[in-house]
Amino acid sequence: MKQRPPVLQGLLVALFVAYMILPIIATYTFSIATKWDITLMPEGYTLEWYQTAFDHPYFSITLTNSFIVSIAAVLVGLLFIVPTTYWVHTRVPAAKPLLDLLMILPFGIPAVVLALALIRVYAFPPFARSPFLLISACVIFSMPFMYRPISNSLMAIDVHTLTESALSLGANTLQILIRVIAPNILPGILSGSLLVFATVFAEFTLANLITGASFKTFPILLVEFTRRDGRIAAALSVISFTVAWFASIAILWVSGRGRKPTEEALGAR
Amino acid sequence: MAYLELKNVSKLFGPVAAVKDFHFAVAKGAFVSLLGPSGCGKTTTLRMIAGFEMPDAGAITLDGTDITSVPPNRRGTGMVFQAYALFPNMNVRDNVAFGLEVTGHPKQEIEGRVREMLALVRLDDTAKRFPHQLSGGQQQRIALARALAIRPRVLLLDEPLSALDAVVRVALRGEIRRIQLELGITTVYVTHDQEEALSISDRVVVMNQGLIEQAGTPEEIYRQPKTRFVAAFIGTANQLNGVVVDRTQVRFGETMLRAPVPSGLKESSKVVVLVRPESIAIHAAAPTDAHNVLEGTIQTITFLGPITRLGVDIGGTRVVADMAASSRAAFTHTQHVWLSFPPDACQVMAEK
Amino acid sequence: MIPWSRSPHQKISAWLGVVPFLAFCLAFEIVPVLLLLSGSFSDKNGAFSLGNYAKISAPIYVRSFWNSIQLSAITAILGASLGLLFGYAIFRLPAPRVREALIALSDVTTNFAGAPLAFAFIVILGSNGVVTLAFEKYLALKLYPTFSIYSYSGLVLAYLYFQLPLMILLIIPAFAGLRREWWESAHNLGANTIQYWRRIALPILTPSLIAGIVLLFANAFGAYATAWTLGGSNITLATIQIAFTITGEVLHDPGAGDALAVVSLLIMGVCIAIYQFANSRARRWAR
Repeated sequence: MKQRPPVLQGLLVALFVAYMILPIIATYTFSIATKWDITLMPEGYTLEWYQTAFDHPYFSITLTNSFIVSIAAVLVGLLFIVPTTYWVHTRVPAAKPLLDLLMILPFGIPAVVLALALIRVYAFPPFARSPFLLISACVIFSMPFMYRPISNSLMAIDVHTLTESALSLGANTLQILIRVIAPNILPGILSGSLLVFATVFAEFTLANLITGASFKTFPILLVEFTRRDGRIAAALSVISFTVAWFASIAILWVSGRGRKPTEEALGAR
Repeated sequence: MAYLELKNVSKLFGPVAAVKDFHFAVAKGAFVSLLGPSGCGKTTTLRMIAGFEMPDAGAITLDGTDITSVPPNRRGTGMVFQAYALFPNMNVRDNVAFGLEVTGHPKQEIEGRVREMLALVRLDDTAKRFPHQLSGGQQQRIALARALAIRPRVLLLDEPLSALDAVVRVALRGEIRRIQLELGITTVYVTHDQEEALSISDRVVVMNQGLIEQAGTPEEIYRQPKTRFVAAFIGTANQLNGVVVDRTQVRFGETMLRAPVPSGLKESSKVVVLVRPESIAIHAAAPTDAHNVLEGTIQTITFLGPITRLGVDIGGTRVVADMAASSRAAFTHTQHVWLSFPPDACQVMAEK
Repeated sequence: MIPWSRSPHQKISAWLGVVPFLAFCLAFEIVPVLLLLSGSFSDKNGAFSLGNYAKISAPIYVRSFWNSIQLSAITAILGASLGLLFGYAIFRLPAPRVREALIALSDVTTNFAGAPLAFAFIVILGSNGVVTLAFEKYLALKLYPTFSIYSYSGLVLAYLYFQLPLMILLIIPAFAGLRREWWESAHNLGANTIQYWRRIALPILTPSLIAGIVLLFANAFGAYATAWTLGGSNITLATIQIAFTITGEVLHDPGAGDALAVVSLLIMGVCIAIYQFANSRARRWAR
């Protein structure tokens, strides 16, 4: 292929990076600016907005609530998806299309529609407007993110051969799962969990519509502040971004570690 | 008369020389194979002929004109790749017609040529099919038809059979040679499979680490390997380490071997005596009228169909010898045997 | 295929292993959605009726769908075209580390949707935003009131922020699937760069491109938080109208909410179906 002029290529890449990081950098800067509305650069810097945010009574409540919902969604997701995916891959390959379909469905259901449907059905206690219903909704909403990495790593390791060789060496199903399969798909499980955590942590629509004021999450607080006080909203956005960065870096690190052996194996050929 | 000529061509990838001072000429209508292990520079050489790599030094001429700086799409070389090179979005007809269409040939000529090419590779009925509906062997035949459709001056094949099953591989290499002879097209063929190279080529160029080890007819390459590398790479050869005694004798351990010592090798210099397993006779009792007799114990007996190969331990050196399957003699494991081979089956070369 | 699961008895018990998960999906996804569907075709007394669909032919609802479709289509097509361009620039970068870093950046930013993203755009493009001020100061260009981050034009910019990286993530594997042999064969047979792109590369990329566009469309169509944070009730989108029927901020008929949701599901369903089909075409060639 002809080499594209590197100037044009470099310009495109620079433009892309600028578009992607400018809003984030601006938000970080805004959150520590004393006053920044008529000058091009902030007039001074302060941590006051963080202090105000931390002192707000709802700050720790909503942060805790968001952590509860995110961790619960990860755990419930793991509980359902890991065994089911493994089971389908090894024992009932005929169910694989069904599983794939179930995992694509959430993409076709907008969060508002899912919230509406669940609220209609579960209008009775203890479900109505409860955190349980929110967690269930989040599990449904985020399960493709959990499924994809796990399914991919199961396919990458050739579960059949591993299971059959372990069986031929006398291992039972539980031993195979714990000592052979799990270590091999651990990177997939971890990155799936982190992805679900990050997605649910930032999820506003389901929380606002299902629990709303009765069980406020961090994104709900953030949206409230975007209408009341931009500087505190900036501080909360920064916290939200930072959680997302950490989750993403952890995913990259985990999947990088998971990928290495295959790359080395390919390199050795 | 040289048709395609590579003159002192070199190619560097960073600090590593992939091809060093490659000098070789191909006669018009000849089938030449570049043979060597992976990383020997054979594919790079082929890609320089096609124009995908620029030589760092040297020149390439085709039919008397220098093509070194002619871009690949004007060279008129037809190339067949290892695999998967058919355009997946086009059916067979469109694939074969592609080269003619992009160079603006009239429609009627294109249709005629496509039919002719498909008949040549014996896949007339596949015109409407897509690559993913064809077997690997069929795909490679279409790739050949596509490369030939543009009436190239040189046909280049880059390990075209390496992704195929053994049976298809053997059948298709015969097809390639048939078509090449039918068209009389000058062909350069890259392979790491020595049997493939020997069976279809007019000439074979054995390469190693970017250098030509030896070039010659398949018979020459097999019978008179010029270097230890060629001897080891082509077929199987026993290598006996010895010391030159005089022009006709080499001392191997305690044994004096009769072998023609080339004039370049001085007395008492270290040498290697090469003997092919099929030149070695096996005796159950010490032979009286034979030259070059070695005594040892059978370690392995390997049945290979037309021959049986014996691995014999000669005082710590393993020597393999072949026995025709029709031979009545029966040998057993750990049996004490004598090996012998005529002096003219030996080739002596310097150890280094 | 797997000898240790062949007997019919084992087969049935194997299917039992899928039951817990299936039950969960039925309870919290499939049954509620089906009830929504049946609810949309019932009147207040539970009898069959098309009344809900008659209600949503009111101008406000028609406009909300039209706005949603327009916004999704614009951001999908812009996102896909720019994603193709930027994606190719990134794909062709000679330094693999820089390329990996940019792909990672896309991976992170495509998930930065919702409230924090919307707020970040207010910071840079609000009426006192840093970019707004920079335009005024250095280019003597007043963005407001022609442009507003709180309007549809602002939404396009904000949506592109997650659409663009998503397209890059979808298209780079497709670029990677273009085998070098195809370019070399084409070149060897006499084609130039333009002929190669027009007759080989673009046709091969087309299914991936279509899959990308419909996925981006669905992604934008289902989005709610970004639009809600930026525009609140000033923005008339399908998802915002559906949310109103839940929060009751404006007097809304629940039956109309069901019908709106069903129409949205229909549009999303078409997108996912096209996506699946285009993807299977792309995969067929990738072998």
